Amino acid sequence: MKIRPDLKKVKDPYSGNGNEYVVVPPIIPDVAIIHATKGDRFGGVTTFSMRNDLLLARAARKTIAVVEELLEPDAVLPARNEVYVAPFHVDAVVLAPRGAHPTGCPGKYGVDGAHIKAYMTAAKDDRTFRQYLDTYICGPKDHNEYLRKVGL
Amino acid sequence: MENKATDQTVRMIVAISKILKNGEWVAAGTLSPVPVAGTLLAKHTHAPDITSIFFGDPADRMGEGLFELFGLVQKGKIDVFFLSGAQIDQQGNINLSVIGDYSKPKVRLPGGAGSNMLYAMAGRTILFTATHTKNLFVQKADFVNATAFDGGVKTPWRRGGLSHVVTPFGIMRFDTGINRIVLDSVFPGVSVDTVVENTGFDLGTGTRTIPTIEPVREEELRILKEVVSREMRPIYPLFTERLWGAA
Repeated sequence: MKIRPDLKKVKDPYSGNGNEYVVVPPIIPDVAIIHATKGDRFGGVTTFSMRNDLLLARAARKTIAVVEELLEPDAVLPARNEVYVAPFHVDAVVLAPRGAHPTGCPGKYGVDGAHIKAYMTAAKDDRTFRQYLDTYICGPKDHNEYLRKVGL
Repeated sequence: MENKATDQTVRMIVAISKILKNGEWVAAGTLSPVPVAGTLLAKHTHAPDITSIFFGDPADRMGEGLFELFGLVQKGKIDVFFLSGAQIDQQGNINLSVIGDYSKPKVRLPGGAGSNMLYAMAGRTILFTATHTKNLFVQKADFVNATAFDGGVKTPWRRGGLSHVVTPFGIMRFDTGINRIVLDSVFPGVSVDTVVENTGFDLGTGTRTIPTIEPVREEELRILKEVVSREMRPIYPLFTERLWGAA
């Protein structure tokens, strides 16, 4: 509590034994960006369940879902280890196949290990990191050009 | 048959398996291949009725997300959990946040995640480490993310606490009578002096005789290579390849 003045103590209102507990304020993100396997134009999406994306979408003030593929609402069905996030939690849908690159999208594609290694090497000093940004982040004019740049 | 070449990691896996009891619910995190291997080995040897939950293993399906596992721990369903730390001190406190002063850290680490709740609310916790040095085992941690036992004071949510610490040198255990980590046993070929020299606090060895852990048996090596490696490969491909070769 020395380093987190936002944490407060409250007396347990239930037990009556005077126990004091530290309570933590909820995290309410201004914006959450989640990556989804399937989505429809109304905002319904399916996403990998282990990543707590559903929790994130419910908690955030605004949620942007990046989707691998855009389908009719009735076809947006969760696969094994996926959950459905209802349109009410999603404010925008962005269609970007391979949009999780260089990380993976479980069920669709894995991590691009070679690219991650190249990034780690580049991130070691300012000059090579700047080069990386110019090549892959600031340089490409859109997502398709990025995908071509990374060889997809 | 154990020889010099027996991998330290394999010894730790076998040691962990023996600490687990049949029927227990055992959970481990995504960065814990050693405890996962130990748990699987236990299931294939003396503890077939262990229920295991490995975070991030697609085989262990959850309905909504990983936070459900935290709920299981809070409900008291998880008997054994595994944690580690960048620093572990004599009282079993673990540090996963900063090395050095909090406001001016030498190293900033990822943070405690759920470790505080897990350490308090799992039935018992086994710590495991990849090294055994004075930088890791310190008298007093620079920052405390999670406590082993709250100095003997029972806090409201505490159910369990630290039971064992498994390192490349052997096994330490938590003595609840004195609130400290003490040396329990050493792996074959590791001297008590070596452990003492590489630990930043008194291990309470005194005049006690510290037993040497039984060597890894051929049968255990076989089960690891033939059965455990197959089960682990999908979630820990690099670890599995290092220990038991490519598929």
